[in-house]
Amino acid sequence: MWWRGCWKSCFVLALHLVAASAQGELFDEDLTLRPLRDGRLEARFSFTTLLKGASPRDPESLRQDDEAQHYTLFPLALGQILREHAVTELHLTLNAGKWNYDHWGYPDEPGVGTGAELWAWMGDTSLTSVDQRWQGLRQSLAGLFCASLGHLDDQRTTSPTLTFQPEGSLPNFTYPHQLRHATLPSEHVCTENLTPFLKLLPCKSLSGIAHLLNPHRVFDADWHGLGVHVRYRERIGVEVRLAFQAVLDPVRYSHDGRRDWSLRSVFDRIVEKACPVARSSKVQVELPGETSYTLSPGPTDVVNDMATYELTSAQEALDVAMKWPGENSFVYPDTSQVPPLTDISVRRNLKGASQAEARLTIEVTNNLPVQVKSGYLETMPWHLQFYLHTLRAYIDDSQRDDLVTILSYAPPVPHSRPALLQAVLTLPPRSTLRLTMDVSKPFLRYTEHPPDAQRGWDLPPAVLVPFAFGEDDSPEFETSASHEANSTWTQEREPYPRRPSRARRIYTPVMLVDLATPDFSMPYNVIIMSCTLIALIFGSVFNLLTRRFVVVRVDSDPATPDVNSVGGVADSVGGTGAAKKTS
Amino acid sequence: MNGARNVLAKLKQKLRGQGDPSAAKIRRQRALREKIWKGLPFIKLLLFTVGYIWLLVLPSSQLGQGTYIDENALQPGQVNTYWNWGEVHHADRILEDLEQLRDRNATHDEIARYVVTEFEKYGIPARTQSYSFDTIGGEISGTNAYGVLQAPRASGTEAIVISASWLSRTGEGDGTLNLRGVSTVLALAKYLKKYSLWAKDLVFVISDGYLDGMQAWISTYHGETQPNMRAEPLTLQSGVIWTALNIDYPGHSFSHLGIFFEGLNGRLPNQDLMNSVSLISRYTVHVPTLVYDHIDPREDRSQPDLLPAWLPEPFKHNRDVQEYASRAKNIYRHMNYQARGAASGVHGLFHQFRIDAITLFAVPATGPHGFHALGRILESSLRTCNNLLERLHASFFFYLLVAPGTFMKIGSYLPSAILVGTAMLFTGLGEWVKAGWTISPAGVPSSEGVQSEKAKPKDDKRKWQRRHRPVLEPVAIMVLTHILGVVLFLLISTSWFAANQKIAGPITYILFTAIPFMASAFVPRAPSSHASIPSVLKAFNLCFTSAIISITSVLNFSLAATLAVFLGLPLTLASPPPSSSPLSARVAKYAAYSILALGWLVLCPEETRKAIWNWEVLRVWFAPFVCVVYVPLVMQAGLVCLLPS
Repeated sequence: MWWRGCWKSCFVLALHLVAASAQGELFDEDLTLRPLRDGRLEARFSFTTLLKGASPRDPESLRQDDEAQHYTLFPLALGQILREHAVTELHLTLNAGKWNYDHWGYPDEPGVGTGAELWAWMGDTSLTSVDQRWQGLRQSLAGLFCASLGHLDDQRTTSPTLTFQPEGSLPNFTYPHQLRHATLPSEHVCTENLTPFLKLLPCKSLSGIAHLLNPHRVFDADWHGLGVHVRYRERIGVEVRLAFQAVLDPVRYSHDGRRDWSLRSVFDRIVEKACPVARSSKVQVELPGETSYTLSPGPTDVVNDMATYELTSAQEALDVAMKWPGENSFVYPDTSQVPPLTDISVRRNLKGASQAEARLTIEVTNNLPVQVKSGYLETMPWHLQFYLHTLRAYIDDSQRDDLVTILSYAPPVPHSRPALLQAVLTLPPRSTLRLTMDVSKPFLRYTEHPPDAQRGWDLPPAVLVPFAFGEDDSPEFETSASHEANSTWTQEREPYPRRPSRARRIYTPVMLVDLATPDFSMPYNVIIMSCTLIALIFGSVFNLLTRRFVVVRVDSDPATPDVNSVGGVADSVGGTGAAKKTS
Repeated sequence: MNGARNVLAKLKQKLRGQGDPSAAKIRRQRALREKIWKGLPFIKLLLFTVGYIWLLVLPSSQLGQGTYIDENALQPGQVNTYWNWGEVHHADRILEDLEQLRDRNATHDEIARYVVTEFEKYGIPARTQSYSFDTIGGEISGTNAYGVLQAPRASGTEAIVISASWLSRTGEGDGTLNLRGVSTVLALAKYLKKYSLWAKDLVFVISDGYLDGMQAWISTYHGETQPNMRAEPLTLQSGVIWTALNIDYPGHSFSHLGIFFEGLNGRLPNQDLMNSVSLISRYTVHVPTLVYDHIDPREDRSQPDLLPAWLPEPFKHNRDVQEYASRAKNIYRHMNYQARGAASGVHGLFHQFRIDAITLFAVPATGPHGFHALGRILESSLRTCNNLLERLHASFFFYLLVAPGTFMKIGSYLPSAILVGTAMLFTGLGEWVKAGWTISPAGVPSSEGVQSEKAKPKDDKRKWQRRHRPVLEPVAIMVLTHILGVVLFLLISTSWFAANQKIAGPITYILFTAIPFMASAFVPRAPSSHASIPSVLKAFNLCFTSAIISITSVLNFSLAATLAVFLGLPLTLASPPPSSSPLSARVAKYAAYSILALGWLVLCPEETRKAIWNWEVLRVWFAPFVCVVYVPLVMQAGLVCLLPS
């Protein structure tokens, strides 16, 4: 008993020490729950750690030993990687599922492309090239998160600066910053990625809202993804935000088809206690527009349809629950009747059944009554090669190539570099722009096929960024396009100042492409067959080259061959033999 | 030691002969050639006999091997199924609605809208697609309904299709409705939505009509266009379709599950798919499976006997004979579909896009199975398809399914057609050689001295003399007949022909028999010193046919086998008439060949109409193949008999 009391007091003392030393580090966590109109529930966990007054490492200082790193709340494992490779800004997302923009709206975390996506801004000095540090970065992160990020190699790396602009500020180094971006759509997020993710949190999953991250439930969600975002905020410090986002389906969990949910029912856990080192810890619930629901327990605060529960003061365990008592079972909205929740809707397909060529079709629908301009980015591995001259734009079957402007294209280099296609699409109000382009499917070397070769290749999502709403052109975009030319960003800039709330990336679903695949089930047969053919060809050619042709006389007396006689060489087919051969 | 060396030397001498080894070699080659030439009739006969007997032996119970699952990822029947009476009740309720729609003669649109509303009720986005085809028989139109259940947690790059057509395949789409199949798909959609384990999107398609609706849907899905097809674009999309299951449940209940697998243009699905479904059906749900809807009379006494009545009793009760009869029935049905390039069900339309698909046909019976059994089979089969990491590629794509659990590999049936083809090749080459030589009486100096061969004077007084073989004329005749075939095809695919088939058939027959007959009068006669045109034509005709049979056999064995039967002997037996034969005899022969070539115009008008429809709507190559390849080949044989030598 005495021992236990002693331990307890030691623990409290330790906590005070932590709190005292953590003055330079702030940790905030929040969980946002948003009921969606198709009965699902979006949950977004966000864990922000701010390292006050810190700044990204200057790549020029890479030749010297780095200063010692002492963190209490800031994740050391991640901090070391950031300093080792002098990364200014970093975004890593690992997602599973297909985000349904039309019915779920814009996600709280914009990076929802299926699979893994990694992009980083790094200062470019001659000391160590950006590419070298990029390689080191992805390999370190692959080790840290147990993900196949090592596959994000040169064959997948591009620099689409127009679409992936820095979210924080870039420190005022004497040299420009460079972007590296790569996606790996076939990566699957799993428990083995969540465990290292939780280890980066100061309270792990022991307390606070991170306790809700129950792998059995969050990985059963219709959509789930984790993200790591590091950015530099000028005069504030370096911020690391770990985010987990999931779209859960309470209707599927319930036996009678109701959409009622509670933390217990969707996560099979409740918030037992707050994380002691968190400055703020809150659960927010976005209240639906309708009024037929009940929310329990009563929130601490309600602002703008957003109910907030402050956890720091909460002594008791919290289990937020939302119920629709008037509903017997959830009635799904008619998907063809309800308007899409995003400004534009995108569909992208690969048409055609041939193994040599196909047609890429992308259909962008403007759901607004005003004209929308949108950036369009396609980072395509060389497994699909565009015939850019066949790019056509249609609106209702009438060709409108003028709607595709500022087209920039970096062709792929087979077996090494992906293609980068960027364009600005002008979308007339309430209409659908259809882009088509013929593509060819190259022939791979047999060593380039992955395991499960007959599956095909996953292609990364395209990204659209609607940025200008209304008729007038956006001058900001023009300047950013000129910046694009030298691929550099030296100053902080808000990405799209006109309507920042709207400037969000929209990821299309990923695609699968069939390339001509040899039958790998019998590789030896193939090898043996080719060897036999080569041997046969070599044999006959060698024979022809080394043989000497002479005229031989063939008659009844085989002992005296006569060179002058026109004998067997001029021999001809078939029937003569019977008549001719006598003796 | 010495003795051994002597023996070896003697042996060598015996084998190699004496003197110059090159001369000995040439002599040996000549001897061999001579033997082949002498044995040619025998070789031909042997090849023909073995080839045809092989074809007849295919159904034998001694051949074939048991089916097995080759792809380890499939794991068929390894899951618990949870489809239960609640779902059966739901399916029954949908069936009631559908029956109401049927009873009040609801339009295609109404039915499609009902289906879409049901899907939307379950939370599955769904849309309709209306389509129409312009055919020579009139316009075909309809409305498909489809829903896409987006797989949770998956990227949606792969998809499985579960489909049911409004018309059942009973009587190849004779108008029987597939109401229970449609109900099954709808009930299944609601049920499958409850699970998060799907790794692939599930696409549910209720296609209108029998084959036309799915053709419109699947080709639109893949962005293929057809000049005579108008189809709405699909607003819901999913990923690459790997497998598809088509459900056909026309009766009230069913006793057996029949599996139909032949696709358009003779394509077959991977055997793993049907083996998995068959395994699940037999061992998880205890529903016996059949190849097609052939219930074995040995199992069910009420089925008509397969063996002819005149067969002696001991034979009738012989197990091997019974097995032969049942397998022969399956093979005949298979060849009938495959050779015509016809799909044996809606699944057949998927194969053209490299999708493995089969139809599960609930063979109508008074019992004992119903929605409960079918639902469980489908649930388990879909779980199996869901396990796939890559396309089905491991098992066989070329096979003859002779019995529910027995199949023949390509190696065990392909040689039959190839042997007949080879026999024709040998005959053709023999004809070619024979045409190049003539026996001239001794003493007459050879006109082509350089090429002539000296015969030994101590032999008889004749000598073999080389003669010129006309090549241009026979090739021109062949090209012209094939062009005539194209014209024939264009003619029979006109709306005029379709409208007046009863009159147009015989007229076309007479016309296309008469044209080569008239034209043959203009074929120049080769000088007597040259080989006759018919003999060279026969050589070319046989070699060309042999090439066609051999090439077709690896693409569509049934078509090759049919060609081997229809062309093998008739074309070989066509012989240039002796110059003394009267015109009437030659014309009679020509007429016989024309019946073989064009008789179908008069004798099978229904079959002709179907083939044209299949070409127009489904792009089946059978009709053009018959007109452009088969007919000209037989007409060439007819001309061989007709042309004066």
